Amino acid sequence: MNTEHNTAQIYIAALGLVTMILGLVDILVWIGFTGGIEFGIMEIAGDDFFRWAWGGLVVFLGGALMLSGCRNVGNIQEFSKVLLGAALVWIIAACDIFAMICENIPAGEEAPEFLNSFAGFVGGFAPPYAPAVILLPFTLVIAYFFYAWGFADES
Amino acid sequence: MVLNEDQRWSLVDLLAEQTISAGTYKQTAWDVIGELTVKPLTGIPVAFAVLYAFWSVFCSFAGALCTDGFFVKFFDNHFLPWMQAVWPDPNSILYFLFVGDPLADNCFEAFGMLTSGLFIAIGVVLPAVLIFYLMMAILEDSGYLPRLAVLVDTLLHKMGLHGYAIIPTILGLGCNVPAITATRILETKKQRFIMMTLLAIFVPCGAQLGIMLEVIPESVGYVMLFLLIGYVVFGYLLSKIVPGTNPEILIDVPPYHMPQRANITKKLWMRTSGFIINAVPFVLLGILFINLLYIGGVIQWLSGVFAPVFVHWFGVPKETAGPLIAAFLRKDLAVAQLSNIEMTQYQMISAVVLISIYFPCVATFVVMLKEGWKELIAAVGVLFAVAFVYGGIIHAIGILLGVA
Repeated sequence: MNTEHNTAQIYIAALGLVTMILGLVDILVWIGFTGGIEFGIMEIAGDDFFRWAWGGLVVFLGGALMLSGCRNVGNIQEFSKVLLGAALVWIIAACDIFAMICENIPAGEEAPEFLNSFAGFVGGFAPPYAPAVILLPFTLVIAYFFYAWGFADES
Repeated sequence: MVLNEDQRWSLVDLLAEQTISAGTYKQTAWDVIGELTVKPLTGIPVAFAVLYAFWSVFCSFAGALCTDGFFVKFFDNHFLPWMQAVWPDPNSILYFLFVGDPLADNCFEAFGMLTSGLFIAIGVVLPAVLIFYLMMAILEDSGYLPRLAVLVDTLLHKMGLHGYAIIPTILGLGCNVPAITATRILETKKQRFIMMTLLAIFVPCGAQLGIMLEVIPESVGYVMLFLLIGYVVFGYLLSKIVPGTNPEILIDVPPYHMPQRANITKKLWMRTSGFIINAVPFVLLGILFINLLYIGGVIQWLSGVFAPVFVHWFGVPKETAGPLIAAFLRKDLAVAQLSNIEMTQYQMISAVVLISIYFPCVATFVVMLKEGWKELIAAVGVLFAVAFVYGGIIHAIGILLGVA
């Protein structure tokens, strides 16, 4: 195994662990273990079963898949599990971003106009963000490995 | 021209040379991911994520963007006041039929054919159906659906079905009409009967989902949970009661591929235009019909007759009789009507579940009839029994939890 793989292995293991923890916290906040959490630019409101319990479970399972595949990332079978784990985080993050877009296109309920102003639209993307959105740029490194290591090449 | 044997073989060789290329097979990550998504340990998390995305995109697009973002504002602030202003004589029968309540300040409460009818059909149901069919087409064309069929095969076998039954089930979440037709992919009469019955009872259509999202956004999860439990439990019971076989099948799982825009557009147009042609007239005429029944006093009479069953057995207000009649025409219409009846959150959940399970809408009814009148009668018999028993059970659960 080369040095790049070693470094990637440590990176993916750490990322998987953090992802699992954040997924678990999503679920625990929803259960009522603690109130909503706001930490820097991250927010876990825990007010909706679908978003925090189900979504949190998906994030947790994504982290678990990353961890299960991180021991031998040079192997295509193991790397695919890591990629699949990252894909689960991408799905949740993409859904969160899509929800932000959909909520920010129309003007508010009380506003007379139909469309939001450009400033209002952009302002809707300001922090805080859900954990999956914060994890997104870190998991994109796995997509880089996927192409850089030639796993995407067709037969 | 007649070719001899040698010439034919030469032609075969020539064709093979031009069409077949030999090389070393190299397994790619796409191949491995294709395999991982059918194995339970890795495939179930993916299924959870895909279903999450399906529902999340559905809610964001249909709920937040289209209905709440634009259509509510357009219909409540512009269209309804305009109709109320231009339609003459607010005390006339025609006003009641077409515009509805003259004092209403939103289209859910007005309940006129041209106010609530157009709002429900265009403002609520159309965006829901559009986004549902778009995602459905993407899932179909990407090659994920057969993998989902493999994953749920074991569970569905316990209900007398097999993995491919997931296709009519998901289609039913869009519209029960094509879903009933899709039960033909199942092999035996037993499987088709169970699937058809479960679809008619426990699978709410996209139109109903869209309106539920608008009327009871905080309770949709509970309604879906009750329906899912009913789907599995009554599926299991039906598999034990209904005679017949449930053979194993081989599922051909294709590789993943990028959906083609032309195919997606074609499917989306075909299905959505089918919905507009079939459903919109039903919604408009449905409201007209219900309003006529109100004027004739039929709904009030039925409410009185069925009051003991509704109030004591199902634990919902007797006024629910009206929406239940409307549910035979369109279930989305019936859920919209429920929003005007005063009740607790649990009663609302029970009433929406009852509307889902008590009878298929008229369009589904007609398609079921096409599949065979004996099956239809049997399915309707099962349906009434299930609605009565399950409605009572839901009420009992509410009493035990202290919320009914």
